[in-house]
Amino acid sequence: MTRQAFLARLREGLRGLPPSLIADITADYENHFAEGVAAGRTEDEVAAALGDPGRLARELRAEHGLKQWETQRSAASGAGAVFAVLGLGAIDLLILLPILMGVGATLFGLAIACVAVFFAGGVVFAAGPFTGMAGGPAAAMLAGVGLMAGAACAGALLTLVSIALINALVAYGRLHYRLLKPALDA
Amino acid sequence: MPEAIEIQLKKGALELCVLALLSQHDGYAYEIASRLSDAIGMGEGTIYPLMRRLQADGLVETYLVESPAGPSRKYYRLTQAGRRSFEAQKSAWTSFSGAVADILGEAK
Repeated sequence: MTRQAFLARLREGLRGLPPSLIADITADYENHFAEGVAAGRTEDEVAAALGDPGRLARELRAEHGLKQWETQRSAASGAGAVFAVLGLGAIDLLILLPILMGVGATLFGLAIACVAVFFAGGVVFAAGPFTGMAGGPAAAMLAGVGLMAGAACAGALLTLVSIALINALVAYGRLHYRLLKPALDA
Repeated sequence: MPEAIEIQLKKGALELCVLALLSQHDGYAYEIASRLSDAIGMGEGTIYPLMRRLQADGLVETYLVESPAGPSRKYYRLTQAGRRSFEAQKSAWTSFSGAVADILGEAK
């Protein structure tokens, strides 16, 4: 593989990352070729020693995704971290995928339920006093507040569980490509 | 599968080796990569994701040096945290490999 082909495949694999990061990474590999050629090797030899650019790109992407998640906890970065780990394309992750989707769907469902209960609490709070509920207006209002507080509490717990799950996945991904994924294509 | 074991061993030791090289003197990626590629047979390309992670974790920092031939070189040096991490990993590795060597010795 020539330098051109190697860098093109690397760029292809890195697509979607911040442009400055891509420029940074490709500059590293470009320098590597320059050093190698200066040391008397051919571009082919350097490319062979570097390994598969597609796999290198996946590792770099995964690293970026995990780092984003660690520095900034948000739904977007969490999803990014999950996809980055999945993007490593390891077979045991594919086996894990159905379980992961099940867990994800359950969490999503519970989140919706929390929102629904919260709004229901709001309705009870606002409308309850006028419907002649048993116990009078004060009891209806208290019931509404209780529902809303309960939903908020469950939502907070759900968020903590989600964060813990993504962290576990990230730790797993780290372990996986640091220790198990062969670094040695040569 | 002896090959799989070998790969795992090397991959696990890679970070430690990079930190060890940098603890002696600052280096640039090509130099580190060819050194480790000769010594333990790792793919040269792996050095870059690794250096990027070490930098993001604050274990190494970079500076540019003009090169007599070609573009300027990005040198890596250990930070204080990197030095501490190296010492910790080194002692963990030494005690672990010593224990394994003892057990292998008994098995002879």
